[in-house]
Amino acid sequence: MRDAIVIGSGLAGLTTALRLARGGMSVSLLSKGPGGLQLSQGTIDILGYAPDRVTRPLDALGDFAAGHPGHPYGLLGADTVRDAAGFLAELLPDLLVGDPEVNLQLPTAVGAVRPTALAQESMAAGDLKDGASYVIVGLRRLKDFQADLIAGNLDRAEVPAGGAVSARAVTIDVPVRDERDTTGLTYARALDDPSVRATFAKAVAKEVRAGEIVGLPGILGLDDHEAWRDVQQIVDHPVFEIPLPPPGVPGLRLYRTLSAIARDEGVRFITGSKVIDKRVEGDRVVSVSIDSAGRAREYAARHFVFAPGGFESGALAVDSYGAISETTFGLPLTESSAEKLIHGDYWGSEQQLFEVGVRVDESMRVLDADSAPVHSNFYAAGGLLAGAMRWSEKSGDGIAAASAVRAADTILREGN
Amino acid sequence: MKRLQADVVVIGGGSTGAGVVRDAAMRGFKAILVDRADLGQGTTGRFHGLLHSGGRYVVSDPGSATECAEENAIITRIQPDAVEKIGGLFVATPGDDPDYADRFLAGAQATRVPAQEISVQEALRREPRLNPGIFRAIEVQDASVDGWQLVWGAARSAIEHGGQVLTYHRVTGIEHDGDQVRAVFCRDEKGGEDVQIDCQFVLNCAGPWAGQITRMAGLPEVPVIPGRGIMIAMNHRLVNTVINRLIYPADGDILVPVHTVSVIGTTDVKETDPDELPIPREEVQQMLDAGEQLIPGFRRARAVHAWSGARPLIKDDRVAASDTRHMSRGMAVIDHLQTDGVKGLLTIGGGKLTTYRLMAEHIVDTMCEQMGQMRPCTTAEEEIPPEGTKNYVITHRLEDREEDRLEDQIICECELMSRGMFTRALAEQPDGTLDDLRRQLRLGMGPCQGGFCAMRAAGIAHQSGAVDIERATGLLRLFLKNRWIGLWPILYGDQVRQTALDDWIFQGTLDVEHLPHATEEVVR
Repeated sequence: MRDAIVIGSGLAGLTTALRLARGGMSVSLLSKGPGGLQLSQGTIDILGYAPDRVTRPLDALGDFAAGHPGHPYGLLGADTVRDAAGFLAELLPDLLVGDPEVNLQLPTAVGAVRPTALAQESMAAGDLKDGASYVIVGLRRLKDFQADLIAGNLDRAEVPAGGAVSARAVTIDVPVRDERDTTGLTYARALDDPSVRATFAKAVAKEVRAGEIVGLPGILGLDDHEAWRDVQQIVDHPVFEIPLPPPGVPGLRLYRTLSAIARDEGVRFITGSKVIDKRVEGDRVVSVSIDSAGRAREYAARHFVFAPGGFESGALAVDSYGAISETTFGLPLTESSAEKLIHGDYWGSEQQLFEVGVRVDESMRVLDADSAPVHSNFYAAGGLLAGAMRWSEKSGDGIAAASAVRAADTILREGN
Repeated sequence: MKRLQADVVVIGGGSTGAGVVRDAAMRGFKAILVDRADLGQGTTGRFHGLLHSGGRYVVSDPGSATECAEENAIITRIQPDAVEKIGGLFVATPGDDPDYADRFLAGAQATRVPAQEISVQEALRREPRLNPGIFRAIEVQDASVDGWQLVWGAARSAIEHGGQVLTYHRVTGIEHDGDQVRAVFCRDEKGGEDVQIDCQFVLNCAGPWAGQITRMAGLPEVPVIPGRGIMIAMNHRLVNTVINRLIYPADGDILVPVHTVSVIGTTDVKETDPDELPIPREEVQQMLDAGEQLIPGFRRARAVHAWSGARPLIKDDRVAASDTRHMSRGMAVIDHLQTDGVKGLLTIGGGKLTTYRLMAEHIVDTMCEQMGQMRPCTTAEEEIPPEGTKNYVITHRLEDREEDRLEDQIICECELMSRGMFTRALAEQPDGTLDDLRRQLRLGMGPCQGGFCAMRAAGIAHQSGAVDIERATGLLRLFLKNRWIGLWPILYGDQVRQTALDDWIFQGTLDVEHLPHATEEVVR
C-alpha cells in the first residue's frame, strides 16, 4: 500500500508526485504514455492574456478569476500559483529562469510575441526589448522552423512594453544525418555531442553581424542543459531558443528532468498501461487497476490524484452523438453535450468545448453534480479541470502546477 | 481597361467549363475561360469523388445511366492520372427492397451498364467491413476520380490548344446589342483591373451560379436550382471499392474510397444561395446512420472533414420544385436566342462530373450549329497527360517519396506532399492561396487538417519570395479559418483530440492569434 497514487505524467502529475515525495510520502505514478510536456513549448505559463496581454500575471490573476466564474484560478489564487512556480524553479535550477511576477515576452516559431512567466534559460535572451536587432537562423533540413516567417513577423511586431525591434533571417545547412528531413529531436540529440555543437555554432557564427541577438530553433541539446551555453560562447553573441511544434525539445527536457528527480526521490513509475477502473469502499477509493498484459493489476493507496490531461490526451472525449465523457472513470463533467459548445468561426469567440472538465473544491477533490466530493480521497489536477481556455490564456502550466501543489499539500496535511 | 479578343468566352471554371474551353480550343476557336475564383473551387471540388459506372441511374434515369457508362470508360482512358479504377458494388442491406436487385439487373442490361451479380460470400470476402447482413451484391465499374486533377488536366490541355484560362476574373457584365452578344466584362481580382473580352459567343457554365450570370446579361435568371448535398471524409479507406446501397437513389447511400480517405454522401436539399451552403448537424447524423447501415462500427471510425456542394439542377416541371433528388441528372442546354432573343449565349445546367466531357461536346456542338461552322469534337480521342501515363493508384505518392526521400523534404506527412511539389505548384500559381494549392496537392487534407503543415507551407511560400510577410501570415490565417469550416460540423471522436492538439500548437505554442495582422484579412 502506497501513501498516494498519481495518475498521469504531464506537468500536473509529475509536480504532484514530487511534492508528495518531498513531503515524505511513498508515491506510485501510473501513466499510459510520456505525458503532455512534449506537446508543450517548455515554458511555465501562468497567465498571458486576460484577454489583453498580461505583463504581471500574479497581479492580474485575481481580477481575471473574478471575471471567469468556475476558472481554476478562482480556487487556487495567486499565492498557490506563486508557491507552485517557486517549487518548480527550485526543482529545476539549471533550466528555469524568470520571475513569476513579470512575464517574459518571447518570440514564437511564427514570429508572434508570446507572454510566459518562467522560461528555460536558453530562451531568455529572446525577451523582446525596444531597439534590439535579431538574426533568426534556420536550418535547411528542419522544416518546423521557418526563419523567414519568424523574422518577417518579428520585424513588424510591436514590443509589448513599447517600441520595435528589427529582425532578419538566414538559413544554413548543418547536416547531422544523411537525410533531407531532420526532426528537431534528432538535432537535439546530435547537439548533446560537444563536437557536433561546435560545428553547428561555428556555422551560425559566420552569419551573425555586430550587435545581433541570435534566434535559433529549440533544439540546443536534449539532456545536456549546458549545450546552449556552449553554442552561445562560440557564436559570441546572445543566443536564444524558439520552441517548435511537438514533439518539443524544451518540453521533453522538463519531462526527462522532472521524471529523473522523481525517480531519485523514490517515486515508482508504472508506465505503458492505461488505468481502467477504481475500487471504492464507503467514501474512499481504495485502489485503481491498470490494463496490463494478461490481466488487470490493482494498485492500492490512501490517496489518489488524477491528472490525465484533457481532450488532447484522450482523457476527455466526444462521441459521434456529441456526448462528452471522461474516459477513465466516467466522472461528472461541467457539460454533457458538445452540440452548443462549438461554432464555425475559427477566429471568433472561444470554442467552449475546450473549457469542459471536472469540477473540484478548494482542495482539488473531484465534485459531483451536487457539489459534493465524489470520494473523500480522490483529487484532480491539470488539464482535466474545468473552466480554463488553457492555450489561448497561456495558463495551462500555472493551473497544472498550482492544482498539483494544492492537491499534494492537502494530502500531506491530512497525512495517512 | 485591359482588352482581349476571343471567339468564345466560357464562364465558370468547374469541370463543365474546363471541358468546354478544351473542346472549343481543340476545334480551333479562340476560347477564354474566366472564373471568379480558382478552378474546381465550386461544385466540382465538393462532391464525393465518384466516377459513376451508371449503376446508380439504371432504374431512375436510364438516359443518364448509359451516358455515365460510356463517359466513365472515356474519362478513365483519356485522363488516367485523375482516375483510380477501384470498381464498385451495389449491396442490398437488411430492410432494403428485396425486389430492387432484379429491377437493377434488368435496367443495367437495358442501359448497357456493365453489371454482374456476385455471391454475398464473395462480396464479404472483398469487403470484410461490409454489413454481414447484406443479401444481394452486384459488381459494377465505378471508379474514383480527383475532380481537381480532372479540371486542371482539361484546362492545361485547353491551354496547349491555344485556349486561355483566367482564374480570379469575376464577371461583372455581359454586353449585347439587343440581339447579339458582344463582350464580357470581368474584374481581375488579383491584378486589380477591369478586363473587357470582345467575343461573339458566351457559354455560361457557371453551374449553380448560372442564374447570376444570365442576370448580368440583363436577362431573366435561368431556372437552375442549387441542390445541396453534404459529404463526410472518413480517415482511411474503410472499403476498397465504391459501396452503393442497392436501392432507388436516396440519401447517404454511397461510400467512395478516394485518395487516403473514404467519403460518404450525400443529402439533397434545395437551397436558394449557392454561396451559403450549411452542413447541418442533423444531416451529419443522417450520414453517420447511413454509414453504419453499410459498415457496422462506422460511427467509431474517425471523420476528418465535411463539406457541402450544390448540384446545378435544371428545374423540371414533372417533379415538385422542392424534390431536388428526383430532378433529372441529365444535362440541358438553354439557347437564349430561343428564350430571350439574344444570339450568342448558351447556358448549360444539370449533368454531373462523370459526363463533363459529353456536356462540353453538346454545348460546343450547339454553338457550332448557330455559327454555321460544323467542326468535329475530338475530346474523346486525345489523352490529356503525357502518353503512357497509368491510372492513379493510392500508392503513387508513397512510391514517389521513396524515390526522392533523400533529396526532398515531406512538408505534409498525412498526404505525402514534398517540398518540391509545393514550390513547383507555387511557382505556377504564385498568387494562389494555400487552399488553391491544397486542391492540387492535398496539402492539409489528412488527419491533422493542417496542424503541422500549414505553418511550414506559409513559411516556404514566404521564403520563396512569392508572397510578402503580410500575405504569408494572412494566408496562414485564411487556411486555418477555411479548414475549420469543414471540421467543426464533424468534431467528435479522435478529431476532437486532434483539434485540441492543433489548438495547443497554434494558440498555445505559436500564439498565432497574436501575430500582427492587417485590418483587412486576406480573402483570396
